[in-house]
Amino acid sequence: MNRRPGSAWLLAAVASVVVMVAAACGGTASPNAPASKGTITVAGFNFPESSILAELYGQALEHGGYTINYKLLLGTREVIAPAIQSGQIDLYPGYAATDLEFYNKGAGEATGDVTATAAKLNSHLSSIGLVALNPSAAVDQNAFAVTKATQAKYNLTTLSDLAPIGNQLVLGAGPECPTRPFCQPGLQNTYGIHFKDFKPLDTDGPLTRAAFKNGTIQVGLVFSSDADLTQLGLVVLQDDKHLENADNVIPILRQKVATDDVKTILNNVDAKLTTTDLVTMNAQVELLHQDADAVAKAYLQQHNYFA
Amino acid sequence: MGRAVFLDIVDPWINWDWLSTHIPTVLAALEQHLVLTAIALAGGLAIALPLGVAAHRWNRLRLPVLGGLGAFYTIPSLALFALLIPYTGLGIVTAEIPLIGYNVLILARNVLVGLESVPPDILDAADGMGYRRLPRLLRIEIPLALPAIFAGVRVATVSTIGIVTITAIIGLGGLGQLIYKGLIENFHTPLVVATILSIALALVADLSLAGAQRVAVPWSRDS
Amino acid sequence: MKILTDALAWFTDAAHWQGSDGIPTRLSEHLQLSAESVVIGALIALPLGVALGHYGRFGNLAINISNVGRAIPSFGILVIAFQVFGLGNLPIILALTALAVPPMVTNSYVALREVDPDIRDAARGMGYRELAQLVQVELPLAVPLIMAGIRTSAVQVVATATLAALIAGGGFGRYIVDGFAQQDYPKTFAGAVLVGLLALATELSLSGVERALVPRGIRMLRATAPWQSATFKTA
Repeated sequence: MNRRPGSAWLLAAVASVVVMVAAACGGTASPNAPASKGTITVAGFNFPESSILAELYGQALEHGGYTINYKLLLGTREVIAPAIQSGQIDLYPGYAATDLEFYNKGAGEATGDVTATAAKLNSHLSSIGLVALNPSAAVDQNAFAVTKATQAKYNLTTLSDLAPIGNQLVLGAGPECPTRPFCQPGLQNTYGIHFKDFKPLDTDGPLTRAAFKNGTIQVGLVFSSDADLTQLGLVVLQDDKHLENADNVIPILRQKVATDDVKTILNNVDAKLTTTDLVTMNAQVELLHQDADAVAKAYLQQHNYFA
Repeated sequence: MGRAVFLDIVDPWINWDWLSTHIPTVLAALEQHLVLTAIALAGGLAIALPLGVAAHRWNRLRLPVLGGLGAFYTIPSLALFALLIPYTGLGIVTAEIPLIGYNVLILARNVLVGLESVPPDILDAADGMGYRRLPRLLRIEIPLALPAIFAGVRVATVSTIGIVTITAIIGLGGLGQLIYKGLIENFHTPLVVATILSIALALVADLSLAGAQRVAVPWSRDS
Repeated sequence: MKILTDALAWFTDAAHWQGSDGIPTRLSEHLQLSAESVVIGALIALPLGVALGHYGRFGNLAINISNVGRAIPSFGILVIAFQVFGLGNLPIILALTALAVPPMVTNSYVALREVDPDIRDAARGMGYRELAQLVQVELPLAVPLIMAGIRTSAVQVVATATLAALIAGGGFGRYIVDGFAQQDYPKTFAGAVLVGLLALATELSLSGVERALVPRGIRMLRATAPWQSATFKTA
């Protein structure tokens, strides 16, 4: 025939785009790089502190010779837990008490004793192919805050003070709060607080802060290691009945990647991490908009991990 | 402490300092965006072409195909991504199933309409010249259906580029990752940069396809 | 499949039909967000498109505004709106309005442009003045395409309003986002079904309005090309 029909053009164009794209992302590691000890996928929850912790663990492991894939801001525990159990991720920075109550389906076993809590956590993890390592001294637990105005209005210092007036107040937190034992159910069962309404916002993020600002909520879930609470005029109410327990930072990983070498590296990081460190690093990321990986790197260098 | 300093931090809509030091991050997000879009288009086309041809050939298929695809189309992408996770995990497969599915509807519909718009006289003439079914399809019908197919590819491309951003909730997102980061960290720059780039990407893609159409089917001037 | 039976159970649970998280409440939230956005969008887009089309000005702009509009990622625009205006319905409606305007501008422009110039001449010749010509001659002829634009916008907005839940908005998107966060998949599934049904209902009812508005003589003359009325997906 005479002219090439247009349909061949179309197919050729699509095919070449696909081939180019495939070639572009088919890049392999350079042959000169030292052999990696293996690939580990590190995930973080959908708040900045978790990105920092994931970077701390990841970079320490990277320095130890592992290839790291990061999946930061991946989601809540409801997303991460299935992902680690199915092997899509290998490691995430957990919090001892909250993780325990997640994997034991809210059985109420967590206490203020971090060693006991971590041991109980491991007893639940061992049967699903996971393991928790040494908890660090750094703690970040759920905290419930009110604005200074609300505190003054009702004369609040502790969570127990909320019980008589709960039905005039709106609680705001991430959408998973009504199903988490340390969140709304906990406030109800331990403190007898029944809120007027619950507003699903985010897990200690900008939506919650905006809701405080425009009065949509009076009580909100924040994290005890947040760096911006004072600046925002928020006051944390004291957990006088100890609803929140030992939420020490603890690495949770798949047993398959938990070699002695990996365990040593991660436990080393945990050994020196303190709550003050968390708050400082949170401030750098949340307030100064520095990168989690840069902040983590600076911390590791400061503590001579890369020596 | 240095708390007072923090109060003075102003967050400009685009912090050029941040942008200039984070070009690799932005480029990586852009690359992921392109890959997700390309797969969605290639997959959509690969399924929609035969499907559209089949629905054209066998009229009984028309309603079930368009109806079924149409029903799929009304499901919000956010829901589909969330619902697929327990089955297909967090990754490209979960992202691509809805993306490809939506494109199959747009493209199949356009393939069908394109094929139906071929004047019957031409089909008669082709038959008279001795064309068998398949050669007639490949050499006559599909080329004449190209304007409609191109229109569909353009719509599918721009639509896909927008929806890819939503895959940020399953850990992907392309440029959507920067949007998500901007949301969670209350940070303007990655959000604004990613939104602008997404718009630019869609416009460039649309214009390129319009240009490609002019080359491939110069006899049709489609707006 | 189990998810289907679970979702059915979710719908038949009476508790899900009352209260601040009940289906009627979420439905009215979703409708309010969508309707306000489309109406405000129409108030901006229709006069603009009709004027441009009537005078035949800025054709390229009018046609390309829809291309640019479609290129806006809805997720991005919603988050930007949140960061500018904070929480509440205002940012959501602004973002959705921004998405609703382009298709209506382009369609009204094209609708007016497609009025047969002979008819315009005839109207002139019959003594119609500018505004009367526009309102009594051109607009009735343009109604099908204008309505198609409104319909496209409306269905698009209803679907995109789902994303509002990501910035603490209400509506059916709440079921999808909360269900995901709580790992309550029947809830997510229910949310998806509800949005799909609402989009379908919007499409059908506006098609009905369109049919009612178009004078019968014109209805028989033209049928919009199917591929032009394919709803664009932004969410």
